[in-house]
Amino acid sequence: MTLFWLSVGFGFVTASVLAISAVGLSLQFGITNYINFAYGDFMALGAYFTYVLNAEFFHLNIWIALVFGSLLMGILAVLLNQFLLSPFARRFSKSFYVMIVTFGLSLIILNVIYSIWGPNVRNYTMPLEHVLHIGPFLLTRDQLIVMAAAVLMMLGVHLMLKTTRLGKSMRAMSDNTTLAMTSGIDTRRITTVTWFLSGTMAGIAGSVLGIAEGNLTPAAGELFLFVIFAAVIVGGVGSIYGAMAGAVLIGMATEVSAAFINPAWKLDVAFVILIITLLVRPTGLFSRPGKG
Amino acid sequence: MPALLAENVTAGYGRTPIITDISLSVEKGTVTTIIGPNGAGKSTFAKAVVGILRPTNGRIVVGDLDITRMPGHQIPRHGVAYVPQNDNVFKSLTVRENLEVGGFAVKGDTSARMEEILSVFTDLDKAREKKAGFLSGGQQNLLAIARALMVGPSVIVLDEPTAGLSPAYTDVVWNQVERIAASGTGVLVVEQNVERALHHAHFVHIFVAGSNHVHGLASEIASLDLAAIFLGRAEANRS
Repeated sequence: MTLFWLSVGFGFVTASVLAISAVGLSLQFGITNYINFAYGDFMALGAYFTYVLNAEFFHLNIWIALVFGSLLMGILAVLLNQFLLSPFARRFSKSFYVMIVTFGLSLIILNVIYSIWGPNVRNYTMPLEHVLHIGPFLLTRDQLIVMAAAVLMMLGVHLMLKTTRLGKSMRAMSDNTTLAMTSGIDTRRITTVTWFLSGTMAGIAGSVLGIAEGNLTPAAGELFLFVIFAAVIVGGVGSIYGAMAGAVLIGMATEVSAAFINPAWKLDVAFVILIITLLVRPTGLFSRPGKG
Repeated sequence: MPALLAENVTAGYGRTPIITDISLSVEKGTVTTIIGPNGAGKSTFAKAVVGILRPTNGRIVVGDLDITRMPGHQIPRHGVAYVPQNDNVFKSLTVRENLEVGGFAVKGDTSARMEEILSVFTDLDKAREKKAGFLSGGQQNLLAIARALMVGPSVIVLDEPTAGLSPAYTDVVWNQVERIAASGTGVLVVEQNVERALHHAHFVHIFVAGSNHVHGLASEIASLDLAAIFLGRAEANRS
């Protein structure tokens, strides 16, 4: 029973990281309508930006480094969209071609990380922490901060989408870009803002993944990308709330299962859930009118 | 001064022009319809007016402002509203949110305007918190028109607003169209149903093969051999 509750605690941490990354990916997909296969590498690069600010040069506190490292990733995402992805998206009406470009971008970013920081495992500079007993759970202070940050971010995204002009414009664009444009929404500006948010969230997710796992490697984001896809599809492609629910379901299931079966099968558990969901409810848990 | 003036407009997809040298005007407080066979370029012209397609030749003027090269999202600010034929509402947004988004082109608080519109569109008022994707086809078309009215347009372009609707809902939509024109707005309607177009419009334009083939008062057009005109066998530029 103790092992079960320990795994539930880890499940909350994984679900938190997954929720941040899945929502970031969904925001971008909703607006551009193509999958960004480089998202996992955005996460890794954001984590390395944080590493540079925290451990390599400026020796900032890990959480301050995370904020600036993630913002830097957000700015880079905007530039990559502006000068690489957008021109392809304008030229080709089929999203397939842009997805291939993001696949190439993924390889480029991965190799840039390898060439700058090498293949070795890196660690953030963080004080050693005592483990806290919270009810049946055993968690560190940093893991609690990761969970709190995820909850606050989900709440922030919810409030933005429901109450602000920017959020409503993003939802309108996600439904129908041409109609949004003829209704007076500056779709290029909204696309730019969305890439910034998505890139920043990728940076945050990559950094907290490094904090939660205690180390960072160049391919960590790529491996995590498949779990993110599972969470997004289980929740319902294009649905932000679906991405949140999918993240909790997949995060919890992978960690709890790891307590009872070989942890190397975590990915397989995520994909079993994905297949069952697609068989029972092909549109995901939170399908919505207006989006396939 | 007309609400909308198009002069020698040529537009299309890529390098292929679909419409050539189209000229027409929409007067304030009137309903002008465009009819014609499939593929005549009626919807293409509507898209060129609202900035979805950029004309390769000619100019489009609203009031005294040339909007030909204006970015599409800026055009509603100058009083041009558009209701496309398909996918004309934001389906995952509620009725209220659809109207809010419709008012984004206008500066300031639009809640009073929204209440005014909902008092006219009573079906929508009852469903204001319902997601647009769950409305019936007729209600969606009414919502699309209501959303377009949020900018207080000087000209509204409607692309087949009654396509696929029941006769009862078709009447409801046309009543709203006439009400909008009576308020002083210039209304341009692309319509497949010739009988309806002639009945409700003040002016009618017949597009054939991408050209403004015949135009005139609805009463004059009604007296012509429309079948022959649709097949391109009759006189051009009658008036």
